[in-house]
Amino acid sequence: MSTVQPVILGEMPSLSKLYVNAAAQTARRRVLGTHNGSNLPATSHEVRGVRADVGNLTAYQHLIGLTARDTLPAGYLHALAFPLAMSVMNRDDFPLPLLGMVHLSNHVEQRSPVLFTESLDIQARVENLRGHRSGTQLDVVAEIRGADTPDIKWTGRSSYLAKGVFLPGIDKPTPHNGQADFTPPDPTAIWHLGVDTGRAYAAVSGDFNPIHLSVLSAKALGMRRSIAHGMYLASRALADVGPAKGETFTWDVTFEAPVFLPARVALAITVLDITTAQTPGEGWQRAEFVAWNPRSGRRHFSGSVAPL
Amino acid sequence: MSINGQSGTGPHEFASPTTSGAARPVRRAVIVGGNRIPFARSGGAYTKSSNQDMLTAALDGLIARFGLQDERIGEVAAGAVLKHSRDFNLTREAVLGSALSAETPAYDLQQACATGLETVLGLANKIKLGQIDSAIAGGVDSASDAPIAVSEGLREILLDLNRVKTLPQRLQVLSRLRPRDLAPDAPSTGEPRTGLSMGEHQALTTAQWNISREAQDELAFNSHRNLSAAYDAGFFDDLLTPYRGLAKDSNLRADTTLEKLATLKPVFGKSLGAEATMTAGNSTPLTDGASTVLLASEDWADAHDLPKLATVVDGEAAAVDFVHGKDGLLMAPAFAVPRLLARNGLTLDDFDFFEIHEAFAGTVLSTLAAWEDDEFGRTRLGLEGAFGSIDRTKLNVNGSSLAAGHPFAATGGRIVASLAKMLQAKGTVEGRPARGLVSICAAGGQGVVAILEAL
Repeated sequence: MSTVQPVILGEMPSLSKLYVNAAAQTARRRVLGTHNGSNLPATSHEVRGVRADVGNLTAYQHLIGLTARDTLPAGYLHALAFPLAMSVMNRDDFPLPLLGMVHLSNHVEQRSPVLFTESLDIQARVENLRGHRSGTQLDVVAEIRGADTPDIKWTGRSSYLAKGVFLPGIDKPTPHNGQADFTPPDPTAIWHLGVDTGRAYAAVSGDFNPIHLSVLSAKALGMRRSIAHGMYLASRALADVGPAKGETFTWDVTFEAPVFLPARVALAITVLDITTAQTPGEGWQRAEFVAWNPRSGRRHFSGSVAPL
Repeated sequence: MSINGQSGTGPHEFASPTTSGAARPVRRAVIVGGNRIPFARSGGAYTKSSNQDMLTAALDGLIARFGLQDERIGEVAAGAVLKHSRDFNLTREAVLGSALSAETPAYDLQQACATGLETVLGLANKIKLGQIDSAIAGGVDSASDAPIAVSEGLREILLDLNRVKTLPQRLQVLSRLRPRDLAPDAPSTGEPRTGLSMGEHQALTTAQWNISREAQDELAFNSHRNLSAAYDAGFFDDLLTPYRGLAKDSNLRADTTLEKLATLKPVFGKSLGAEATMTAGNSTPLTDGASTVLLASEDWADAHDLPKLATVVDGEAAAVDFVHGKDGLLMAPAFAVPRLLARNGLTLDDFDFFEIHEAFAGTVLSTLAAWEDDEFGRTRLGLEGAFGSIDRTKLNVNGSSLAAGHPFAATGGRIVASLAKMLQAKGTVEGRPARGLVSICAAGGQGVVAILEAL
């Protein structure tokens, strides 16, 4: 693998333009029957001096169920870096169709707290192209640093699947290790998600992927109804874990069945806490969360949060 | 004439003649008596009555019973859980509308269903410290006349409309209005952080503690039987003032039977793995009502020739982390009581009455089960084993919320006034004053408990 060449963009790419571009690209490739090989672009995209908009931040925090604090939530940083991640996947030399990609999992390390007033350098790249039993997957890695500083404050690794796309040379599907039976535990919360959940998160995150916006736009992309953003769900679970996790932590989530809107989602948070009567409040170890459809018992996603 | 120029009310108006506050000894706070209006199921007799109407009605009866016309009371504290924003000074407004001296100060307090008991404890502490000589604690709630808020969308538009200056700006703000913004936002008993209703939360706890349907129905049956018997015995004659044609709690079913209760369909916990056991019969209904309690120093009560039923010995609040499922939403009293008793050197055997608020039959039974559980005692309470069990014949002997109903903030005052009267009637037990325990669970995973003693 060659070294990654950085490309510094003048400003944050527009997600709506990227989606339009992606749609055009999909159509072009379908018509021409071409593909772009089996290699990921060895290029990272970077924007320097990014600042959060405080109004947008507040709207995000309230939507997710967070208190409007001055530090940027880990999920908000993901949303901030997302246009860059998209722009890398929107490059002409990116081998997979961007539209219709499925978010499989997400790993975030919040290495130090980020204030909304901070100027940030954000970078994204793609790597680790590999087979999946039902297509081809890859990782998008985003890193956020304080402007002109070397230390990474936040990093996120998102795994995406291009379903039904098999590239030459990458035809080794990972073995299906049989989904373990899931028995729903007692819920600690029930989320009542309205049909507008996708539009509301799109408005604060900028992610106007049509599969989240309306029944019609989702149907156009082959979905039977619109689905909730994975990062909206994961961010709400992180919010529900609460401040006990501290300011630096890892946050993992694996997505399974999509949440079709409107929906009731059952969530169970389990906190491993070795606090005793003698050591009150000192033993918070980690939190695990799992969410499922209370009617069918199908698991939507699961994950964990642990101090770094 | 008193020092501050306001009309005096007697020789005991000032707590103590000492010049240094620090040197003032802690004295006793006594319960003189109480008054409430009968509790009404929501949508019933009090449908059109506001919180202020009902609190004033309860206050009027208390003033009449104890001759408090024109009296300047040290302080009045009350509250409501479901409260209109215009009722920011609910208690003071009720005082101004009552026969009490207009120079009686008042404040509002809100601690969900523990509001009523917390007003008693806070005011009793002020009396104990000599800051005031007399006080009225209370609470009121109307589930019928509940505040309805405009939707978040409409609210933001209205607020933004207020901030812009020109007509075009206003039109631009108004253009954001969508039909769905016109749907009102009604209050719910759902917990903000979990989205689960209180009943759904309790259903989880009820299942976790393996509380049977039969045990819950039996507790509900006893509540109705005991409350009915108390009415028949005239127990409430000096605790209650009729209002809006009601002379008894309208939820009371004197003729209910275990068989009837057994026919009711479960309403909570239907989607849990375990069998659903919580019905409308063993859960409290939404209720309207108000209650008040007159508290005083012994000197003030004596000077006014008023009875002294019981003292407020001590109180304790607790809270649990229900958000992460560590404990059930309504289980905080299971922690508050052991702490309170330990501080006072008492065990469950030292009590003659247990007033455990029946939010749901399952709440009472889960709390008792936790206290009887060896592992809970060791791992959660830090004891050597189980905390203990209570003599069930001492539990809610004159009925509780399952029969009377539960106007959230009014329940504490109902319990405190009734228990004080029961303690006074009991007098002494084995050479010590009769003793009662009050336990009230509350939304937000909270609980407030207290010890009362006969004088």
